[in-house]
Amino acid sequence: MTEKILGLIPVDWRFELTSLPYVRKIIKSRWMPFLPIVLNLSVFTVILMAGFVGGVSAGNYNFGIMFVWIVWWLLLMMVMVPLFSRIWCMVCPLPAFGEWLQRLGFMRVRNKLFGLNRKWPKSLKNMWVVNFLFLGTTYTTGFLTTRPIATFILLMSIIIGSIVLMVVFEKRNFCKYIGCPVGGFLGLYSNMAVTEIRAKDPQICKDHKHKDCVIGNEKGHACPWMILPFDIGRNTYCGMCLECFKTCPYDNMAINLRPPATDLLVDKNRGLDEAWKAFIMLGIAIFFFLIMQGNMGFLKDWANAKTTEGYLTFVALHSIFNLLLIPGVFFVFVYASRTLGSKEIPLKKLFTNFSYTLVPMGLIAWIAFSFGILFPNSSYVLHVISDPFAWGWDLFGTAKFPWTPFLTGVMPYFQIGTLLFGLVLSLDIGFKISKQTFQKRDEAVRGFIPIAAFLTSVTIFLIWLFTG
Amino acid sequence: MKMDKLIIGIIVLALLVGLPLILAQPEEPTEKTIIINAQQFSYTPGTIEVNKGDRITIRLISTDVHHGLYIDGYEVSTDARPGQDGSLTFVANETGKFVMRCSVTCGPFHPYMIGYLKVKPDYRLFGSIWLALGIFIGSILLVSRRQKP
Amino acid sequence: MEKKQIMEIVAGILVLLATAGTIGAALLYEEHLWGGLRTIELTAQAPERGNWNLQEIHMVRGEPVRIKIRNIDTVSHGFAIPELGISLNGTGEIKPGNVGVIEFTPEKTGDFLFTCTTWCSTRHMQMTGRIIISEK
Repeated sequence: MTEKILGLIPVDWRFELTSLPYVRKIIKSRWMPFLPIVLNLSVFTVILMAGFVGGVSAGNYNFGIMFVWIVWWLLLMMVMVPLFSRIWCMVCPLPAFGEWLQRLGFMRVRNKLFGLNRKWPKSLKNMWVVNFLFLGTTYTTGFLTTRPIATFILLMSIIIGSIVLMVVFEKRNFCKYIGCPVGGFLGLYSNMAVTEIRAKDPQICKDHKHKDCVIGNEKGHACPWMILPFDIGRNTYCGMCLECFKTCPYDNMAINLRPPATDLLVDKNRGLDEAWKAFIMLGIAIFFFLIMQGNMGFLKDWANAKTTEGYLTFVALHSIFNLLLIPGVFFVFVYASRTLGSKEIPLKKLFTNFSYTLVPMGLIAWIAFSFGILFPNSSYVLHVISDPFAWGWDLFGTAKFPWTPFLTGVMPYFQIGTLLFGLVLSLDIGFKISKQTFQKRDEAVRGFIPIAAFLTSVTIFLIWLFTG
Repeated sequence: MKMDKLIIGIIVLALLVGLPLILAQPEEPTEKTIIINAQQFSYTPGTIEVNKGDRITIRLISTDVHHGLYIDGYEVSTDARPGQDGSLTFVANETGKFVMRCSVTCGPFHPYMIGYLKVKPDYRLFGSIWLALGIFIGSILLVSRRQKP
Repeated sequence: MEKKQIMEIVAGILVLLATAGTIGAALLYEEHLWGGLRTIELTAQAPERGNWNLQEIHMVRGEPVRIKIRNIDTVSHGFAIPELGISLNGTGEIKPGNVGVIEFTPEKTGDFLFTCTTWCSTRHMQMTGRIIISEK
């Protein structure tokens, strides 16, 4: 019997989006994704300019801050990742200069890349570096989201860092393992997406010895994300750069619509790095809520570094909460699961596998958190698009648009609805993972109960925190 | 069977948790005057708790710069400068937690300047917790009842 | 290879337009918007964060000027030259990240006070400067 996500959609259901007219043609053109990247470059130029001239002026009236931390971040969480996997990576302008430097051109295809082309060390080919990079970035959230110059410094550092590191390390190692703070998030949460890139007919690939997608040819580059397009197990490290669509001589790559969260059931390359990413994302949703949407003035003073001791206390608590407390509590429930289920399963394997149930939970927690920003504060966007640099412009006539919260009465219901849906999805995935991990079904049922209890407790806690 | 006993135990527990809701008698509405101090970047008190139907008058006092107070859901607001208090009167007909936000840009952390208005009883909170527990119990029942194909 | 070279050049031009072009367009637009009149760029910050960027503004009697007041602070400020009866329209307040504009032609010579008109800090009273209007 085929498994069904939420009891509705078969896990192996796919609809090939690239079978629609014109879609494949557009994907195979070298102008794709070049043109969206160029468009994005223009927007980022405005963002960088606004960040630079903005200095320490009010963040809510700054194009840089509004477009990065409100528009982009909300779109990323609520639309781009759940619907389109790592589509942001497809159009991200930050590594564009580094990549054009490697290729010594914009459009041309050469199979030797400029630079030292060093390989990234195998022991670091995981999310650990970006986990700590992301955590480190969140220490500065008090400044990053309120002082325009901080956003400028962050983005500029990533751009310059990428140019330097892409001349040292080959291809997209920078994006995968080194310098993108949201790389871990995008990698792990893309597993939830209803879109994927996969080979259409595996048999064609089996019979095709000279793997153009991996090596490259005159039509396109070797996969810059250094995965095997003919055997993509999970969305995690596919940056949707579309090179494999161009190189494949059999036109055998496809973009598919699929049920949500299917990659979470793929038992390939699961690891503690990804488990910790899940803990960190969940923990940060909670901690950020407390700071930004909570009513405790002292926490805000800490994050705003009113005093050095306060700031260091915040950094310490934030780190302990995310790196130790949440994993620690989860560990207790996993231990209970093993006790109830079967002691024959290694604890580490159970812990790792079940941590993937926190992926739907974490994403949904962030979406619920984002509603708390969207409804009250998105109206500032209208001001900044008319006067991006605070120079007194009024490009679209909306410069004087006042702060206008909307639908704040319904907002809690959006949050609760989303969290409850997240619980249902996490429980569904959780039981499926339980069956995968335990040998017998009755073990899987018993072992599932503590995990289900953990997920339910987290959901109730979040409902209380956000709306109670 | 052990499993059934476990499930019965869970159901009983859930009922006990739901008891407060059943027992929650809304209090008689009264008139309340509450003083809220606004300073960069929080309100004191940080939470106000009132009962459904209360007629609330809030006096907003600012101690440093121009601050505002806007209440989610009710969509009413006032503002205050040092020496110039603000005032707001409304009837708390809707229950639940409502975020109070600063409506006048007052410094770098202005968007994070928040207080809470809680109008009891919080039916929405009880209801959602019930739903979450129901989903939990339902999922356990579902996976333990299914026959193998 | 011709076609590929053209593609490459077009691509390069697009990148240039997206980056340098955007910056250039912004600067040109700014120039266009405020050209014509002598424009004094005044920035407002609370006294503890820098105060006005100009403590003294010099003008010539009979010469029209524009004072562009940019609030680069995180609280609202105001602007007025009380002795000349000059103030901002509307609420008289410039919100953070916003700009207030005053255009006038000085008629009298002398030394006049300009001041912030919105309570912005405990040191609000110190947020003043001087306008010095002289004969040509």
